[in-house]
Amino acid sequence: MTARRLREIADIVRSKNAGPYRITFDILCRDRANYELIRDSGAITPATVARAYGLSESDISSFFAIDQANAIKVTIRRPRAQGASGEGDMYGCQQHVPLMSMLVPTP
Amino acid sequence: MPPITVLTPTGTLGYGFGEEALARGMSLNPAVIAVDAGSTDPGPHYLGSGKPLVSNVSIKRELTALIRAGRAAGIPVIVGSVGGAGSGVQVDRTAALVREIAREHGLKLKLATIRSDIPIERAKRAVAANEVVDFEAGYPLTQDALDETVTLVAQMGHEPICEALDAGADVIIAGRACDDSVIAAYPIWKGADPALAIHMGKILECGAFSAEPFAMDVMLGTIDDDGFTLEPGSIKRRASVKSVSAHSLYERENPFRQGGPGHEIDLTGCSFEQIGDRQVRVTGAKLTETAHYYVKLEGARLAGYRSIAIAGIRCPTTIAALNGILEQLKARALEYFVPDPISVQFHVYGRDGVMKELEQDRSPAREVGLVIEVTAAAQELAHAACHQISGAMLHHHYDGIINPSGNLAFPYSPSDLDIGPVYEFSAYHLMKVDSPTELFPVTLEDL
Repeated sequence: MTARRLREIADIVRSKNAGPYRITFDILCRDRANYELIRDSGAITPATVARAYGLSESDISSFFAIDQANAIKVTIRRPRAQGASGEGDMYGCQQHVPLMSMLVPTP
Repeated sequence: MPPITVLTPTGTLGYGFGEEALARGMSLNPAVIAVDAGSTDPGPHYLGSGKPLVSNVSIKRELTALIRAGRAAGIPVIVGSVGGAGSGVQVDRTAALVREIAREHGLKLKLATIRSDIPIERAKRAVAANEVVDFEAGYPLTQDALDETVTLVAQMGHEPICEALDAGADVIIAGRACDDSVIAAYPIWKGADPALAIHMGKILECGAFSAEPFAMDVMLGTIDDDGFTLEPGSIKRRASVKSVSAHSLYERENPFRQGGPGHEIDLTGCSFEQIGDRQVRVTGAKLTETAHYYVKLEGARLAGYRSIAIAGIRCPTTIAALNGILEQLKARALEYFVPDPISVQFHVYGRDGVMKELEQDRSPAREVGLVIEVTAAAQELAHAACHQISGAMLHHHYDGIINPSGNLAFPYSPSDLDIGPVYEFSAYHLMKVDSPTELFPVTLEDL
Protein backbone atom coordinates (compact mmCIF):
# COMPACT_ATOMS: atom_id res chain seq x y z
CA MET A 1 0.00 0.00 0.00
CA THR A 2 1.31 3.42 -0.98
CA ALA A 3 -0.13 6.84 -0.31
CA ARG A 4 -0.66 9.91 -2.45
CA ARG A 5 -1.41 13.50 -1.58
CA LEU A 6 -5.03 14.51 -1.98
CA ARG A 7 -3.96 17.14 -4.53
CA GLU A 8 -2.71 14.34 -6.80
CA ILE A 9 -6.05 12.52 -6.73
CA ALA A 10 -8.71 15.25 -6.63
CA ASP A 11 -9.24 17.78 -9.43
CA ILE A 12 -10.20 20.65 -7.17
CA VAL A 13 -9.49 21.29 -3.50
CA ARG A 14 -10.83 24.68 -2.46
CA SER A 15 -11.73 26.76 0.57
CA LYS A 16 -14.19 29.64 0.87
CA ASN A 17 -16.26 31.51 3.42
CA ALA A 18 -19.73 30.11 3.93
CA GLY A 19 -21.05 33.17 5.71
CA PRO A 20 -18.94 35.20 8.17
CA TYR A 21 -18.59 32.39 10.73
CA ARG A 22 -17.68 29.34 8.64
CA ILE A 23 -15.05 28.24 6.15
CA THR A 24 -16.10 25.44 3.84
CA PHE A 25 -13.76 23.10 1.94
CA ASP A 26 -14.71 21.19 -1.20
CA ILE A 27 -12.85 18.23 -2.65
CA LEU A 28 -14.09 17.60 -6.20
CA CYS A 29 -13.24 14.71 -8.51
CA ARG A 30 -14.00 14.47 -12.20
CA ASP A 31 -13.53 10.74 -11.98
CA ARG A 32 -15.93 8.57 -10.00
CA ALA A 33 -13.25 6.05 -9.05
CA ASN A 34 -11.01 8.75 -7.58
CA TYR A 35 -13.91 10.10 -5.56
CA GLU A 36 -14.70 6.66 -4.19
CA LEU A 37 -11.02 6.06 -3.45
CA ILE A 38 -10.95 9.18 -1.28
CA ARG A 39 -14.38 8.62 0.24
CA ASP A 40 -13.66 5.03 1.23
CA SER A 41 -10.01 5.49 2.24
CA GLY A 42 -10.75 6.47 5.82
CA ALA A 43 -8.03 9.12 5.43
CA ILE A 44 -10.37 12.09 5.07
CA THR A 45 -12.72 12.26 8.04
CA PRO A 46 -13.77 14.99 10.48
CA ALA A 47 -11.09 13.75 12.88
CA THR A 48 -8.24 13.69 10.35
CA VAL A 49 -9.15 17.06 8.84
CA ALA A 50 -9.33 18.60 12.31
CA ARG A 51 -5.86 17.22 13.04
CA ALA A 52 -4.46 18.62 9.77
CA TYR A 53 -5.51 22.11 10.89
CA GLY A 54 -4.63 21.77 14.56
CA LEU A 55 -8.32 21.93 15.47
CA SER A 56 -10.44 19.80 17.74
CA GLU A 57 -13.15 17.73 16.12
CA SER A 58 -15.82 19.97 17.64
CA ASP A 59 -14.54 22.79 15.40
CA ILE A 60 -15.69 20.77 12.37
CA SER A 61 -19.25 21.93 11.91
CA SER A 62 -20.22 19.41 9.20
CA PHE A 63 -18.87 16.77 6.86
CA PHE A 64 -20.59 15.43 3.74
CA ALA A 65 -19.73 12.89 1.07
CA ILE A 66 -21.90 13.89 -1.89
CA ASP A 67 -22.17 11.00 -4.33
CA GLN A 68 -24.21 13.02 -6.86
CA ALA A 69 -21.32 15.47 -7.27
CA ASN A 70 -18.25 13.23 -6.69
CA ALA A 71 -17.50 15.62 -3.87
CA ILE A 72 -16.54 15.73 -0.23
CA LYS A 73 -17.40 18.83 1.75
CA VAL A 74 -15.98 19.78 5.13
CA THR A 75 -16.92 22.93 7.01
CA ILE A 76 -15.13 24.41 9.99
CA ARG A 77 -16.00 27.16 12.41
CA ARG A 78 -13.88 30.18 11.58
CA PRO A 79 -11.14 30.80 14.17
CA ARG A 80 -12.44 34.39 14.23
CA ALA A 81 -15.44 36.04 12.60
CA GLN A 82 -14.71 37.27 9.10
CA GLY A 83 -13.08 40.70 9.31
CA ALA A 84 -12.57 40.56 13.09
CA SER A 85 -9.28 41.70 14.59
CA GLY A 86 -6.43 39.53 13.31
CA GLU A 87 -8.17 38.48 10.09
CA GLY A 88 -5.72 37.12 7.54
CA ASP A 89 -7.98 35.88 4.76
CA MET A 90 -11.16 37.92 4.28
CA TYR A 91 -12.65 35.50 1.73
CA GLY A 92 -11.31 32.34 3.38
CA CYS A 93 -10.06 31.27 -0.04
CA GLN A 94 -6.43 30.38 0.85
CA GLN A 95 -7.00 27.87 3.64
CA HIS A 96 -6.92 24.72 1.52
CA VAL A 97 -3.25 23.74 1.62
CA PRO A 98 -3.20 21.46 4.71
CA LEU A 99 -6.22 19.65 3.23
CA MET A 100 -4.75 19.17 -0.22
CA SER A 101 -1.53 17.91 1.33
CA MET A 102 -3.25 15.14 3.29
CA LEU A 103 -2.17 11.60 2.45
CA VAL A 104 -4.64 9.09 1.04
CA PRO A 105 -3.61 5.41 0.94
CA THR A 106 -3.82 4.08 -2.61
CA PRO A 107 -3.78 0.49 -3.79
CA MET B 1 -47.43 27.87 -16.79
CA PRO B 2 -45.51 28.75 -19.99
CA PRO B 3 -41.72 28.48 -19.53
CA ILE B 4 -40.02 31.60 -18.12
CA THR B 5 -36.43 32.50 -18.89
CA VAL B 6 -34.36 34.54 -16.43
CA LEU B 7 -31.17 36.20 -17.65
CA THR B 8 -28.48 36.80 -15.02
CA PRO B 9 -25.72 38.91 -16.55
CA THR B 10 -22.97 38.24 -14.01
CA GLY B 11 -22.21 37.00 -10.51
CA THR B 12 -21.92 40.46 -8.97
CA LEU B 13 -23.10 43.60 -10.70
CA GLY B 14 -20.04 45.62 -11.65
CA TYR B 15 -17.72 42.64 -12.09
CA GLY B 16 -18.38 42.44 -15.82
CA PHE B 17 -20.00 40.38 -18.57
CA GLY B 18 -19.43 39.92 -22.28
CA GLU B 19 -21.35 42.12 -24.72
CA GLU B 20 -21.68 39.20 -27.09
CA ALA B 21 -22.98 37.02 -24.24
CA LEU B 22 -25.60 39.62 -23.29
CA ALA B 23 -26.69 40.05 -26.91
CA ARG B 24 -26.98 36.33 -27.43
CA GLY B 25 -28.77 35.92 -24.10
CA MET B 26 -31.27 38.63 -25.00
CA SER B 27 -31.94 36.85 -28.30
CA LEU B 28 -33.28 33.90 -26.27
CA ASN B 29 -36.21 36.09 -25.14
CA PRO B 30 -35.74 36.26 -21.37
CA ALA B 31 -38.73 37.51 -19.36
CA VAL B 32 -36.57 39.31 -16.83
CA ILE B 33 -32.98 40.38 -16.11
CA ALA B 34 -32.07 39.71 -12.49
CA VAL B 35 -28.72 40.15 -10.78
CA ASP B 36 -27.17 40.21 -7.37
CA ALA B 37 -24.87 43.09 -6.35
CA GLY B 38 -23.57 42.15 -2.93
CA SER B 39 -23.18 39.80 0.01
CA THR B 40 -21.36 39.57 3.34
CA ASP B 41 -18.44 38.00 1.49
CA PRO B 42 -16.31 41.16 1.05
CA GLY B 43 -16.48 41.65 4.81
CA PRO B 44 -18.28 43.96 7.24
CA HIS B 45 -16.75 47.19 5.88
CA TYR B 46 -19.35 47.86 3.16
CA LEU B 47 -22.23 47.30 5.55
CA GLY B 48 -20.72 49.49 8.24
CA SER B 49 -19.39 52.33 6.10
CA GLY B 50 -22.05 52.40 3.37
CA LYS B 51 -19.23 52.80 0.85
CA PRO B 52 -19.79 51.08 -2.50
CA LEU B 53 -18.15 47.68 -3.07
CA VAL B 54 -17.85 48.35 -6.81
CA SER B 55 -17.18 51.83 -8.18
CA ASN B 56 -20.03 53.99 -9.48
CA VAL B 57 -18.23 53.94 -12.84
CA SER B 58 -18.55 50.16 -13.23
CA ILE B 59 -22.06 49.96 -11.74
CA LYS B 60 -23.30 52.70 -14.05
CA ARG B 61 -21.70 51.16 -17.13
CA GLU B 62 -23.30 47.76 -16.48
CA LEU B 63 -26.65 49.12 -15.31
CA THR B 64 -26.81 51.21 -18.49
CA ALA B 65 -26.33 48.13 -20.69
CA LEU B 66 -28.88 46.12 -18.68
CA ILE B 67 -31.54 48.82 -18.40
CA ARG B 68 -31.26 49.64 -22.12
CA ALA B 69 -31.54 45.94 -22.98
CA GLY B 70 -34.48 45.57 -20.57
CA ARG B 71 -36.30 48.61 -21.96
CA ALA B 72 -35.71 47.52 -25.57
CA ALA B 73 -37.21 44.10 -24.81
CA GLY B 74 -39.91 45.50 -22.50
CA ILE B 75 -38.82 43.33 -19.54
CA PRO B 76 -38.00 44.29 -15.95
CA VAL B 77 -34.50 44.58 -14.49
CA ILE B 78 -34.09 43.49 -10.86
CA VAL B 79 -30.96 44.19 -8.81
CA GLY B 80 -30.58 42.89 -5.25
CA SER B 81 -28.19 43.71 -2.37
CA VAL B 82 -27.18 46.87 -4.19
CA GLY B 83 -23.99 48.68 -3.29
CA GLY B 84 -22.42 45.60 -1.74
CA ALA B 85 -24.43 45.26 1.46
CA GLY B 86 -27.86 46.63 0.51
CA SER B 87 -27.95 49.38 3.12
CA GLY B 88 -30.10 52.51 2.73
CA VAL B 89 -27.28 54.77 1.51
CA GLN B 90 -26.30 52.09 -0.99
CA VAL B 91 -29.89 51.87 -2.27
CA ASP B 92 -29.99 55.67 -2.60
CA ARG B 93 -26.67 55.77 -4.45
CA THR B 94 -27.72 53.07 -6.91
CA ALA B 95 -31.15 54.65 -7.46
CA ALA B 96 -29.41 57.95 -8.27
CA LEU B 97 -27.39 56.15 -10.95
CA VAL B 98 -30.63 54.76 -12.45
CA ARG B 99 -32.07 58.29 -12.62
CA GLU B 100 -28.91 59.50 -14.38
CA ILE B 101 -29.08 56.65 -16.84
CA ALA B 102 -32.78 57.27 -17.61
CA ARG B 103 -32.10 60.96 -18.14
CA GLU B 104 -29.01 60.50 -20.29
CA HIS B 105 -30.62 57.89 -22.54
CA GLY B 106 -34.12 59.38 -22.66
CA LEU B 107 -35.65 56.26 -21.08
CA LYS B 108 -39.10 56.30 -19.53
CA LEU B 109 -39.45 53.78 -16.76
CA LYS B 110 -41.03 53.04 -13.40
CA LEU B 111 -38.34 52.71 -10.74
CA ALA B 112 -39.00 50.78 -7.54
CA THR B 113 -36.61 50.99 -4.61
CA ILE B 114 -36.93 48.57 -1.72
CA ARG B 115 -35.16 49.38 1.53
CA SER B 116 -34.01 46.71 3.91
CA ASP B 117 -32.72 48.76 6.84
CA ILE B 118 -34.04 47.55 10.16
CA PRO B 119 -34.62 50.21 12.82
CA ILE B 120 -32.46 49.32 15.85
CA GLU B 121 -35.50 49.76 18.11
CA ARG B 122 -37.43 47.20 16.07
CA ALA B 123 -34.67 44.61 16.55
CA LYS B 124 -34.38 45.45 20.26
CA ARG B 125 -38.08 44.80 20.71
CA ALA B 126 -37.62 41.46 18.97
CA VAL B 127 -34.70 40.56 21.26
CA ALA B 128 -36.78 41.49 24.30
CA ALA B 129 -39.66 39.35 23.00
CA ASN B 130 -37.35 36.37 22.45
CA GLU B 131 -37.95 36.51 18.72
CA VAL B 132 -34.27 36.54 17.69
CA VAL B 133 -32.21 33.37 17.44
CA ASP B 134 -28.56 32.83 16.61
CA PHE B 135 -27.87 31.68 13.07
CA GLU B 136 -24.15 30.79 13.12
CA ALA B 137 -22.53 33.58 15.09
CA GLY B 138 -22.17 31.44 18.21
CA TYR B 139 -23.44 34.17 20.57
CA PRO B 140 -26.87 35.64 21.26
CA LEU B 141 -27.84 39.06 19.94
CA THR B 142 -28.06 41.54 22.83
CA GLN B 143 -29.51 45.00 23.38
CA ASP B 144 -25.95 46.29 23.90
CA ALA B 145 -24.74 44.86 20.61
CA LEU B 146 -27.69 46.52 18.87
CA ASP B 147 -26.91 49.85 20.55
CA GLU B 148 -23.39 49.67 19.09
CA THR B 149 -24.63 48.67 15.64
CA VAL B 150 -24.22 51.41 13.05
CA THR B 151 -25.96 49.63 10.17
CA LEU B 152 -28.55 46.89 10.44
CA VAL B 153 -30.21 45.27 7.45
CA ALA B 154 -32.23 42.11 6.92
CA GLN B 155 -32.28 39.82 3.91
CA MET B 156 -35.61 40.08 2.14
CA GLY B 157 -37.20 37.12 0.42
CA HIS B 158 -38.92 37.29 -2.95
CA GLU B 159 -42.15 38.78 -1.56
CA PRO B 160 -41.19 42.49 -1.47
CA ILE B 161 -39.80 42.17 -5.01
CA CYS B 162 -43.10 40.61 -6.13
CA GLU B 163 -44.88 43.59 -4.55
CA ALA B 164 -42.78 45.93 -6.73
CA LEU B 165 -43.62 43.80 -9.79
CA ASP B 166 -47.34 44.03 -8.86
CA ALA B 167 -46.92 47.80 -8.94
CA GLY B 168 -45.58 47.63 -12.50
CA ALA B 169 -41.92 48.37 -11.78
CA ASP B 170 -39.55 48.29 -14.75
CA VAL B 171 -36.38 48.61 -12.69
CA ILE B 172 -36.19 47.32 -9.12
CA ILE B 173 -33.32 48.45 -6.91
CA ALA B 174 -33.52 46.27 -3.83
CA GLY B 175 -31.58 46.53 -0.58
CA ARG B 176 -30.24 43.41 1.08
CA ALA B 177 -31.96 40.42 -0.44
CA CYS B 178 -31.39 36.71 -0.23
CA ASP B 179 -29.29 36.04 -3.38
CA ASP B 180 -31.62 33.39 -4.75
CA SER B 181 -34.76 35.46 -4.07
CA VAL B 182 -33.58 38.16 -6.48
CA ILE B 183 -33.54 35.62 -9.31
CA ALA B 184 -36.56 33.63 -8.12
CA ALA B 185 -38.92 36.57 -7.58
CA TYR B 186 -40.13 37.03 -11.14
CA PRO B 187 -40.81 33.34 -11.88
CA ILE B 188 -42.61 32.96 -8.53
CA TRP B 189 -44.62 36.10 -9.30
CA LYS B 190 -45.65 34.42 -12.56
CA GLY B 191 -46.71 31.25 -10.76
CA ALA B 192 -43.59 29.05 -10.83
CA ASP B 193 -42.98 26.44 -8.15
CA PRO B 194 -41.01 28.34 -5.47
CA ALA B 195 -38.82 25.30 -4.75
CA LEU B 196 -37.62 25.14 -8.35
CA ALA B 197 -37.38 28.92 -8.72
CA ILE B 198 -35.30 29.32 -5.56
CA HIS B 199 -33.02 26.41 -6.48
CA MET B 200 -32.57 27.98 -9.92
CA GLY B 201 -31.85 31.29 -8.21
CA LYS B 202 -29.20 29.67 -6.04
CA ILE B 203 -27.32 28.44 -9.11
CA LEU B 204 -27.91 31.48 -11.35
CA GLU B 205 -26.96 34.11 -8.79
CA CYS B 206 -23.25 33.59 -9.51
CA GLY B 207 -23.77 34.09 -13.25
CA ALA B 208 -21.60 31.85 -15.39
CA PHE B 209 -19.63 30.55 -12.40
CA SER B 210 -21.75 27.43 -12.85
CA ALA B 211 -20.56 27.06 -16.46
CA GLU B 212 -17.24 25.94 -17.93
CA PRO B 213 -14.95 27.68 -18.43
CA PHE B 214 -16.37 29.64 -15.50
CA ALA B 215 -16.43 33.43 -15.49
CA MET B 216 -18.30 36.51 -14.39
CA ASP B 217 -20.62 36.35 -17.38
CA VAL B 218 -24.18 35.82 -18.61
CA MET B 219 -26.15 32.73 -17.54
CA LEU B 220 -29.76 31.88 -18.34
CA GLY B 221 -32.27 29.62 -16.66
CA THR B 222 -35.60 28.58 -18.10
CA ILE B 223 -38.12 27.29 -15.61
CA ASP B 224 -41.28 25.27 -16.34
CA ASP B 225 -43.67 23.16 -14.29
CA ASP B 226 -41.27 20.25 -13.82
CA GLY B 227 -37.78 21.74 -13.54
CA PHE B 228 -35.39 24.22 -15.06
CA THR B 229 -32.73 24.28 -17.75
CA LEU B 230 -29.48 26.23 -17.47
CA GLU B 231 -27.43 27.60 -20.33
CA PRO B 232 -24.60 30.15 -20.50
CA GLY B 233 -25.12 33.26 -22.62
CA SER B 234 -21.77 32.98 -24.37
CA ILE B 235 -21.51 30.29 -27.00
CA LYS B 236 -17.90 29.82 -25.85
CA ARG B 237 -19.12 28.32 -22.57
CA ARG B 238 -21.18 25.29 -21.69
CA ALA B 239 -23.15 24.12 -18.69
CA SER B 240 -22.22 20.56 -17.74
CA VAL B 241 -23.56 18.29 -15.03
CA LYS B 242 -20.15 18.57 -13.41
CA SER B 243 -19.98 22.38 -13.52
CA VAL B 244 -23.52 22.79 -12.22
CA SER B 245 -23.33 20.17 -9.47
CA ALA B 246 -19.93 21.49 -8.33
CA HIS B 247 -21.36 24.98 -8.18
CA SER B 248 -24.21 23.73 -6.00
CA LEU B 249 -21.59 23.29 -3.25
CA TYR B 250 -19.99 26.70 -3.56
CA GLU B 251 -19.91 29.11 -0.59
CA ARG B 252 -22.41 27.13 1.46
CA GLU B 253 -22.24 24.58 4.16
CA ASN B 254 -25.03 22.10 3.59
CA PRO B 255 -25.39 20.81 0.03
CA PHE B 256 -28.73 19.13 0.72
CA ARG B 257 -30.67 21.69 2.74
CA GLN B 258 -30.91 25.37 2.04
CA GLY B 259 -32.64 27.64 4.52
CA GLY B 260 -34.13 30.95 3.38
CA PRO B 261 -36.67 33.49 4.56
CA GLY B 262 -39.81 31.56 5.48
CA HIS B 263 -38.69 28.28 3.96
CA GLU B 264 -36.25 25.46 3.70
CA ILE B 265 -35.34 23.78 0.43
CA ASP B 266 -34.56 20.07 0.35
CA LEU B 267 -32.16 19.16 -2.45
CA THR B 268 -31.64 15.48 -1.62
CA GLY B 269 -33.89 14.37 -4.48
CA CYS B 270 -32.33 16.61 -7.11
CA SER B 271 -31.08 15.29 -10.39
CA PHE B 272 -28.94 16.92 -13.06
CA GLU B 273 -29.18 15.84 -16.67
CA GLN B 274 -27.05 16.89 -19.62
CA ILE B 275 -29.15 18.25 -22.53
CA GLY B 276 -27.05 18.46 -25.68
CA ASP B 277 -23.62 19.95 -25.21
CA ARG B 278 -24.38 23.24 -23.48
CA GLN B 279 -27.46 22.81 -21.29
CA VAL B 280 -28.21 21.12 -17.98
CA ARG B 281 -31.68 20.21 -16.79
CA VAL B 282 -32.32 20.28 -13.03
CA THR B 283 -35.30 18.76 -11.23
CA GLY B 284 -36.33 17.58 -7.81
CA ALA B 285 -36.04 20.48 -5.30
CA LYS B 286 -38.67 20.40 -2.57
CA LEU B 287 -39.73 23.30 -0.36
CA THR B 288 -41.08 23.29 3.17
CA GLU B 289 -42.50 26.48 4.63
CA THR B 290 -41.18 27.12 8.13
CA ALA B 291 -43.68 27.46 10.98
CA HIS B 292 -42.66 31.08 11.48
CA TYR B 293 -41.15 33.52 9.02
CA TYR B 294 -37.63 34.53 10.03
CA VAL B 295 -35.37 37.02 8.25
CA LYS B 296 -31.60 37.08 8.64
CA LEU B 297 -30.24 40.24 10.27
CA GLU B 298 -26.81 41.54 9.31
CA GLY B 299 -25.30 44.28 11.45
CA ALA B 300 -21.96 46.03 11.69
CA ARG B 301 -20.36 48.09 14.43
CA LEU B 302 -17.41 50.46 14.40
CA ALA B 303 -14.41 48.63 15.85
CA GLY B 304 -12.14 51.70 15.75
CA TYR B 305 -9.62 53.29 13.40
CA ARG B 306 -6.71 51.43 11.89
CA SER B 307 -3.16 52.30 10.90
CA ILE B 308 -0.71 49.86 9.36
CA ALA B 309 2.96 49.62 8.48
CA ILE B 310 4.32 47.22 5.87
CA ALA B 311 7.92 46.01 5.96
CA GLY B 312 10.11 43.18 4.78
CA ILE B 313 12.72 41.28 6.78
CA ARG B 314 15.57 39.45 5.04
CA CYS B 315 18.15 38.88 7.79
CA PRO B 316 18.04 35.30 9.10
CA THR B 317 19.06 36.41 12.59
CA THR B 318 16.07 38.78 12.79
CA ILE B 319 13.73 36.12 11.40
CA ALA B 320 14.99 33.62 13.99
CA ALA B 321 14.38 36.12 16.81
CA LEU B 322 11.11 37.45 15.39
CA ASN B 323 8.50 35.91 17.71
CA GLY B 324 10.21 37.25 20.81
CA ILE B 325 10.76 40.69 19.28
CA LEU B 326 7.11 41.06 18.29
CA GLU B 327 5.84 40.00 21.71
CA GLN B 328 8.15 42.46 23.41
CA LEU B 329 7.20 45.36 21.13
CA LYS B 330 3.52 44.69 21.50
CA ALA B 331 3.72 44.58 25.30
CA ARG B 332 5.73 47.79 25.33
CA ALA B 333 3.23 49.60 23.08
CA LEU B 334 0.22 48.52 25.13
CA GLU B 335 1.94 49.83 28.25
CA TYR B 336 3.11 53.06 26.57
CA PHE B 337 -0.44 54.06 25.62
CA VAL B 338 -2.12 53.28 28.94
CA PRO B 339 -4.89 54.27 29.76
CA ASP B 340 -5.92 54.26 26.06
CA PRO B 341 -6.60 50.72 24.89
CA ILE B 342 -5.08 49.78 21.55
CA SER B 343 -5.30 46.53 19.62
CA VAL B 344 -2.05 45.35 18.02
CA GLN B 345 -1.88 42.61 15.39
CA PHE B 346 1.07 41.32 13.40
CA HIS B 347 0.57 39.62 10.07
CA VAL B 348 3.78 37.69 9.46
CA TYR B 349 3.84 36.65 5.80
CA GLY B 350 6.29 33.83 5.28
CA ARG B 351 5.41 32.42 8.69
CA ASP B 352 1.63 32.29 9.17
CA GLY B 353 0.27 35.53 7.70
CA VAL B 354 -2.42 33.76 5.70
CA MET B 355 -3.48 30.94 8.00
CA LYS B 356 -2.67 32.24 11.49
CA GLU B 357 -3.54 29.60 14.11
CA LEU B 358 -4.52 27.11 11.40
CA GLU B 359 -0.96 27.05 10.02
CA GLN B 360 0.79 23.78 10.79
CA ASP B 361 3.90 24.15 8.61
CA ARG B 362 6.77 25.48 10.71
CA SER B 363 9.42 25.66 7.95
CA PRO B 364 11.66 28.69 8.43
CA ALA B 365 11.22 31.51 5.91
CA ARG B 366 13.97 33.01 3.75
CA GLU B 367 12.18 36.35 3.73
CA VAL B 368 9.30 37.63 5.83
CA GLY B 369 6.67 40.24 5.04
CA LEU B 370 5.44 42.00 8.14
CA VAL B 371 2.25 44.01 8.48
CA ILE B 372 1.96 45.87 11.75
CA GLU B 373 -1.67 46.73 12.44
CA VAL B 374 -3.03 48.93 15.21
CA THR B 375 -6.68 49.67 15.87
CA ALA B 376 -7.68 52.33 18.38
CA ALA B 377 -10.58 54.60 19.26
CA ALA B 378 -9.12 57.48 17.24
CA GLN B 379 -7.11 57.56 14.02
CA GLU B 380 -4.43 59.76 15.54
CA LEU B 381 -3.90 57.31 18.36
CA ALA B 382 -3.73 54.34 15.98
CA HIS B 383 -1.16 56.20 13.89
CA ALA B 384 0.92 57.13 16.93
CA ALA B 385 0.94 53.56 18.20
CA CYS B 386 1.71 52.09 14.79
CA HIS B 387 4.71 54.36 14.40
CA GLN B 388 5.80 53.72 17.94
CA ILE B 389 5.99 50.02 17.07
CA SER B 390 7.45 50.31 13.57
CA GLY B 391 10.09 52.79 14.75
CA ALA B 392 10.99 50.70 17.77
CA MET B 393 11.21 47.57 15.64
CA LEU B 394 13.44 49.28 13.07
CA HIS B 395 16.08 50.00 15.69
CA HIS B 396 15.39 47.17 18.12
CA HIS B 397 18.44 45.45 19.58
CA TYR B 398 18.25 41.70 20.21
CA ASP B 399 20.78 39.04 21.15
CA GLY B 400 22.84 37.90 18.19
CA ILE B 401 22.08 40.94 16.01
CA ILE B 402 24.56 41.19 13.15
CA ASN B 403 23.25 44.27 11.36
CA PRO B 404 22.40 47.02 13.87
CA SER B 405 21.56 49.65 11.24
CA GLY B 406 17.91 48.62 10.84
CA ASN B 407 15.71 45.51 11.09
CA LEU B 408 12.96 46.49 8.63
CA ALA B 409 12.98 47.11 4.88
CA PHE B 410 10.15 49.59 4.30
CA PRO B 411 8.78 49.87 0.77
CA TYR B 412 7.14 53.22 1.59
CA SER B 413 7.76 56.55 3.16
CA PRO B 414 5.71 57.39 5.15
CA SER B 415 6.06 53.98 6.76
CA ASP B 416 2.72 54.20 8.57
CA LEU B 417 -0.56 54.32 6.65
CA ASP B 418 -3.94 55.39 7.98
CA ILE B 419 -6.65 53.00 6.85
CA GLY B 420 -9.62 54.78 8.41
CA PRO B 421 -12.65 53.33 10.22
CA VAL B 422 -12.81 49.58 10.72
CA TYR B 423 -16.05 47.68 11.10
CA GLU B 424 -16.89 44.23 12.40
CA PHE B 425 -20.04 42.13 12.29
CA SER B 426 -22.30 42.76 15.28
CA ALA B 427 -25.39 40.80 14.21
CA TYR B 428 -25.87 37.68 12.13
CA HIS B 429 -29.09 36.36 13.61
CA LEU B 430 -32.59 35.38 12.60
CA MET B 431 -35.53 37.58 13.55
CA LYS B 432 -39.16 36.54 13.49
CA VAL B 433 -41.49 38.78 11.51
CA ASP B 434 -45.26 38.91 11.10
CA SER B 435 -45.20 39.30 7.35
CA PRO B 436 -42.54 38.87 4.64
CA THR B 437 -43.04 42.46 3.48
CA GLU B 438 -43.43 44.44 6.73
CA LEU B 439 -39.75 45.45 6.96
CA PHE B 440 -39.10 46.12 3.29
CA PRO B 441 -40.99 49.20 2.08
CA VAL B 442 -41.36 49.63 -1.68
CA THR B 443 -41.16 53.17 -3.11
CA LEU B 444 -42.20 53.90 -6.69
CA GLU B 445 -41.08 56.67 -8.95
CA ASP B 446 -41.86 57.41 -12.61
CA LEU B 447 -38.77 58.46 -14.55
